This record gives sequence, structure tokens and C-alpha cells, in this order.
Amino acid sequence: MHTTDRQLTLAVLLLTTICILYGCTEVKPYQRAYLNDAAMRPGKTDIDKFDNSVHTYREGASGGGNGKTSGGCGCN
Amino acid sequence: MKNKYLTLALLTAMLQTHGQQRQDSIYKKERISRTDIQVLFGYYTQNGDHSAITGGKGTEKLHIYSPEFTITHHLDSTHSWSLNAGVDVISSASLDNIDFIVSSASKLSARTHISPSWSFKLKRSDTRITVGTGISVESAYLSFPAGVSINHVAPSGSREWSAGLQCYFDDLRYGRISAEYGYPVGLVYPAELRDTSWFSNFRRNSYNLSFAYYQVINPRMQLALFPELVYQKGLLSTSYHRVYFLGDRFKERVEKLPGERWKFPLAAQLNIFVGTRTIIRSYYRWYHDDLGITAHTLQFEVPVKINPALSLAPLVRLYTQTAARYFAPYREHNLDEKYYTSDYDLSHFSSYKAGLTLRYAPQRPMSPRYTFNALSFRYAWYRRSDGLTAHILTLLLELQHTRTRKLHQAFSSDPLNHSD
Repeated sequence: MHTTDRQLTLAVLLLTTICILYGCTEVKPYQRAYLNDAAMRPGKTDIDKFDNSVHTYREGASGGGNGKTSGGCGCN
Repeated sequence: MKNKYLTLALLTAMLQTHGQQRQDSIYKKERISRTDIQVLFGYYTQNGDHSAITGGKGTEKLHIYSPEFTITHHLDSTHSWSLNAGVDVISSASLDNIDFIVSSASKLSARTHISPSWSFKLKRSDTRITVGTGISVESAYLSFPAGVSINHVAPSGSREWSAGLQCYFDDLRYGRISAEYGYPVGLVYPAELRDTSWFSNFRRNSYNLSFAYYQVINPRMQLALFPELVYQKGLLSTSYHRVYFLGDRFKERVEKLPGERWKFPLAAQLNIFVGTRTIIRSYYRWYHDDLGITAHTLQFEVPVKINPALSLAPLVRLYTQTAARYFAPYREHNLDEKYYTSDYDLSHFSSYKAGLTLRYAPQRPMSPRYTFNALSFRYAWYRRSDGLTAHILTLLLELQHTRTRKLHQAFSSDPLNHSD
């Protein structure tokens, strides 16, 4: 990947993040019914664990909030 | 006057006694500990025609059976410990080709792992620290992981961050759990290449530094960012991967990769609750490492609630990566190259995965102490553009064990009587 492509990807990611964070509103405890749902929890879900292990074996990339990144296995 | 005081004192004593009797006669159930139990069973099967063991050409048929359990015991609101243990049983046709003719002991291989961890919350703070370690052993390696992480939740509950350092200290020698040896003998090389000692180092250390930032956007939306940095040092080549070179078809060597590797994954996740039944979980990851691999991962999972206990979640995952600069297919490497591999996991390819998760979460008590929290089942189909196809099945059972005790109301209502 060219440096310019990489910079563009990072810039888009950063800009999107800033835009989303700028739009944050304060959420009261009584407004958290939807946020408290198990499926709304960010990060890997418990059932993702085995799939993520398989991806670290079969793909060059790993990590990024998926738990294990490298080491201790036959992963790449 | 004296009688008046005496009557008042007697009345007060009577009222106090009566009040005490009432308090003693009332009991309250208090939860003193909670244990979460998870049992996970995974099955993976693949087929392809680019095995790295035979130099990038040959069967990749593989089955993995992976049962494991996790127990998390919450001693109180401050302390908890967790234990994860399991075994991966790997049946591989290509591993058999390390020896080509004689069926090696590695054909059916098992990885056994156990990892305890301890977590505690700092006093007067929403900061939690977790430390963990473990051991993982397979026929051709022994690994000791060690890690520490810190997690902090903002008082408003709208922001959360965490940072962690996870290290793995691996020894890649064969023989430790072999009936023939029982001690580490050396690295496993392909049968016809065992007259040369290809590597002097048999250790691999990995250091994973990970961060996470969670931000509530509004009552229906939550964002998470996951930057990570990974450094690996030691033997990063797989000693039983063959590489064939241009020209003489018998010219072959063992895969050789640099002794250091840096990885930089950066991921973002946005979860949105749409309407009253549907959640959109979207995930994107950008990845780059110094072997020359740049990868993009995009995943969407959409859990739909059929009723309060049952949900269905279709899943789509798209992935693409560029090749490592040391990769070339079967018999396409030059002999003057410093590093070389024909492992198609490091080649240029795209992959896609489609799956469906069924989750039944009644959270129903089975007995006074046990609660059936959830049962989940996932099937996923995976295809790589180099022709490798796979099926992934996962079954997850979640239970909860609660211990309670009866307490006098007086104990539970009087703050002075609390021992903590």
C-alpha cells in the first residue's frame, strides 16, 4: 500500500471519529436501556472467540480489539 | 417528678426492646458471591491446495475440535478471579507431510492451555486492574503468557478506556510431550532436510500493547477505538515449512523470515440500536506490518430480537491483504533471496465470511443457585480467493451460580455493622 493511500485511510478514519465524537450527547442513567443490551457491548463477543483464533491462523493480520494478537500459537 | 422520669425510662426501654424484636424477626437474603460459567465448543474444518508444509502446493485439509471453559468468580464488588482452560485437537493431513512417507506423531496434535487471572478494583475509583498468566503446550511448542491491563470508567458512564500489555514467551522445540522423548529435543524440520541445523534460535517472544477507548454517542449509539502495537522477536519462521526454488526441482530449503516483526492494527467499532428489535454491529480494521502486509477488514453483524429471549444475528465479514514481500508461490523463489516463504497465509488474497448466530437467553433459574443465562450457536462459511474454504461451528453455554445467605435486617440496614 502506498504511503498516500495509508495517510488517506488514516485521515478518513480520524475525521469520521472526530465527527462522531463531536456529536456526543450526555446520556442519563435512565436512558441507557438500549446501551445496556448485551449485543450493544463493544469489543469481541464471547462467541467470536473461536472465529478470531481461526482468523489469526489463516490471515496475515490480527489484533484490533479481537483479543489475542500474536504469540502462543501457530498464528501468523 | 421522680415517678415521671421512671415511667419515661420504662416506656423508652419497652419501645427499644419491641423495636429490637421486630428487627431480629426480619431476615434478608444477601448475595455473597457470583460465579459465571462458560462452556465453549468450536469445530473448524478447511480444505485447500496450498499447504506451506509442502512448499505452497498440496492439501491443506484440517480439522480442529476445540472445547474450553471459563469460570469467573466474583468474590465481591471489588475482587474477582477467572480461569480459562481448554484443548485444541488438530487433525491435519498436511502435518503428516513433514515426514512424507512415515506417518508422524504430529498428524493428530493437541494444544492444551490454561490461564488464570485476577482482577481487582481500586478503592474509591472506577478503575480496575487485571493480571494474568498461564501455560500452553503442544507437541512442537511451549508458551508462557503474562499480562496486565487497566480499565477505567468515567463517572458519567459515557466514556471508558483500557490499556494492556500481553507478553508471550514461546519455545518452539519438539519432544516435550512426546512418549518417545519426554524432553525438548529440537526444532522439527521436514524429513529430507534434517541433515542441516537451519536455525540456532528456538525462542519467540511477543509483546502486545493494546488500547481501547469506548464512547457513548447517544442513547442508541456507541463507538469504540482499538489501537494496538505488537513487537515479535526470535524465530518467526515455521521450521517445517518447505520452500522450493526456481530451476532444479529438488532444490529446497526451510522457510526463512526476519527475526523481528512489528505490527500495527487500528480498529473502530460502531454499534447502533435501530428501532426496538435490531442492532447493527459494524467493525472496521486497518492493519500494517513490516513484512509488507497491509490489510483491511470490514464486518457487519445484525442481531434481530425475535422475542425477549431469542435473537438471530446474520454476519458478513470481508477481508483483503497484500502479500508479504518475502512470499512467492511454489518454485518461484530465487536462491539469492535472503528471506523466503511459500505460506499462502502471507500471500495477497481476499476472503469473505458469511454466518448466522442463534442466541437463546432466557436467564431462567434452574435451581435456587444456578441460572441458565444463554445458549448460542453460530455457523459460518469462509472462503479465501486462493481457493481455501472452511466451515466454522461454535456452541456457547452460559450459566451462573449464585451463593446467598440470610441476614438479620439489623445487620443489613445498620451501616456500622458492615464489616467491610
